[in-house]
Amino acid sequence: MKNTLGRALAQRRVRLGLALVGTLCLVALLAPLLAPYDPVAQLDLAGGQLLAPSASHPFGTDFFSRDLLSRVLYGARISLSVAVLSVVLSVGIGTLVGLAAGLAGGLLDTVLMRAVDAALAVPRVFLLLIVLALWENVGVGGLILILGLTSWFDASRIVRGEVLSLKERDFVAAARVLGVGGRRIALRHLLPNVAAPVIVTATLGVGQMVLVEAALSYLQVGVRPPTPSWGSIIFEGQQVLSSAWWIATFPGIALVLTVVGFSLLGDGIRNALDPRSR
Amino acid sequence: MSPLLRVQQLSTTFTTSGPPARAVDGVSFDLEAGETLGLVGESGCGKTVTALSILRLIETPPGEISPDSVIEYDGADILKLSPPELRRIRGAEIAMVFQEPTTSLNPVLTVGTQIAETVRAHRPVSRDEARHRAVELLDLVRIPEADRRVHQYPHELSGGMQQRVMIAMALSCEPKVLIADEPTTALDVTIQAQILELLADLQRQLGMGMILITHDLGVVAGIADRVAIMYGGQILEQAPTEALFAQPTHPYTEALLRAAPRIDAPSERLPVIPGTVPPATAWPVGCRFHPRCRHQWEHCTGAMPDLLQQAPHHRVRCWLVTEPHRRKG
Repeated sequence: MKNTLGRALAQRRVRLGLALVGTLCLVALLAPLLAPYDPVAQLDLAGGQLLAPSASHPFGTDFFSRDLLSRVLYGARISLSVAVLSVVLSVGIGTLVGLAAGLAGGLLDTVLMRAVDAALAVPRVFLLLIVLALWENVGVGGLILILGLTSWFDASRIVRGEVLSLKERDFVAAARVLGVGGRRIALRHLLPNVAAPVIVTATLGVGQMVLVEAALSYLQVGVRPPTPSWGSIIFEGQQVLSSAWWIATFPGIALVLTVVGFSLLGDGIRNALDPRSR
Repeated sequence: MSPLLRVQQLSTTFTTSGPPARAVDGVSFDLEAGETLGLVGESGCGKTVTALSILRLIETPPGEISPDSVIEYDGADILKLSPPELRRIRGAEIAMVFQEPTTSLNPVLTVGTQIAETVRAHRPVSRDEARHRAVELLDLVRIPEADRRVHQYPHELSGGMQQRVMIAMALSCEPKVLIADEPTTALDVTIQAQILELLADLQRQLGMGMILITHDLGVVAGIADRVAIMYGGQILEQAPTEALFAQPTHPYTEALLRAAPRIDAPSERLPVIPGTVPPATAWPVGCRFHPRCRHQWEHCTGAMPDLLQQAPHHRVRCWLVTEPHRRKG
């Protein structure tokens, strides 16, 4: 495992991804200290609207004269926490379901995997829109729950596949010969072996989840205003894009950097864990 | 007194598409405490299936152990145990070491963790105690610097060391019977000798019964008390090791011994046994070895011989026992 870390850090993309993700996490954590203004305060409705970037407002102001820099910084908190927590939830569920399906085999496996196939056949945003249309005024917690519960399908298939191949390996037979029980084999022998693909899936998943959250907020069904989220800021900015380009641009850049950062990190970890690259 | 392990009329059949494969067909043997039995035969003769059947590790389906078979350990029929009872026997009473140590160890766990897990599967001990036991066991299998090695991953160890770890795992709960399935086949020759010596020493030290499965007569010659030669899912000859090497009676045993290279004979081409092992789906009628036997006559193609008494403790599945004059020079 120490070698894996070394191999991961030896790649420039991992260092870059780590720097991006690290900076973002730091920004999200320190947003109250870094932000020059209250992100929801309407500063000067009498003439402070749609100000171009300047020394006092580095990212400019929006239609309600709110400081955009402060909103983007606070938006990082919402976007990252929603993405990370919902990915943790989804990967957790996916791992359990995959482990159960792969180990049990037979009817349970068939039922679970056909259900996953059916769920995957429905476009995710469409699925989310239906759920969110039914659940009015969803809070941040509710959003995390919904995102987590609708995105574990991929992870469960990956884990199931791994378990199917792992359980035929000699070391599982060897453990069984020596009287190690099924639950102990699953938790102590199989789970550590699926950790690698799960970590990769989770890392790449966070980037995707940031995008999904932004898309939902952009469609006005995610995080509700005035709470700043990158998606909702972009939505607001898109309406005045020709006169105030900065409103949609800055959260857009933040979004791109986040997704790129997690993708680089995830790809790099995958390379480091791939036995063929050793 | 009944033996520690008694296998009687063990038959294991695999049914896939096509005719059933009778991989093991009526194998019987006993194992006493402290005794080493060598189970010898070429690939596909049913050695490994016999071993797996003893621990009920045959996947059903496609495999099936015939209901007439009896596998008695310490008076209890293993074939009738419930899954939890079976789990208590596996590892704690009867343990097994496999051929390939490299794939038999979990690559993402340290060897100490793996040994500790096996201990904890059978005994209500704390993590620390189990780890302490792991160090003791690595010491027992003569791995130097056990307290450091215990923290290493399998890939940091050589093949011989890995096999020692497997043996340590197998011995972790002091089993009464150890089944070693080709334990040295994947290792190079010098390491083979060390591992065999280790197994023999541990077997004496712990008073275990050991079943040593191998295709190498040289391996059993050194450490087995008795040898059973398998062919076509059956035991063809069973005798104390010395008697078997001094007086090989079955033509197959004879041919095997002749085909082994000798260090004291001038090197020339080694004789081979003509033909190949028939598939388990189509054993020949009569004696299963007759198509490859140089002594065969009509009787051999018609009726399968039982294990016939050649001498005390020496039994042979061959009509030559009853008609020795038929043996060709």
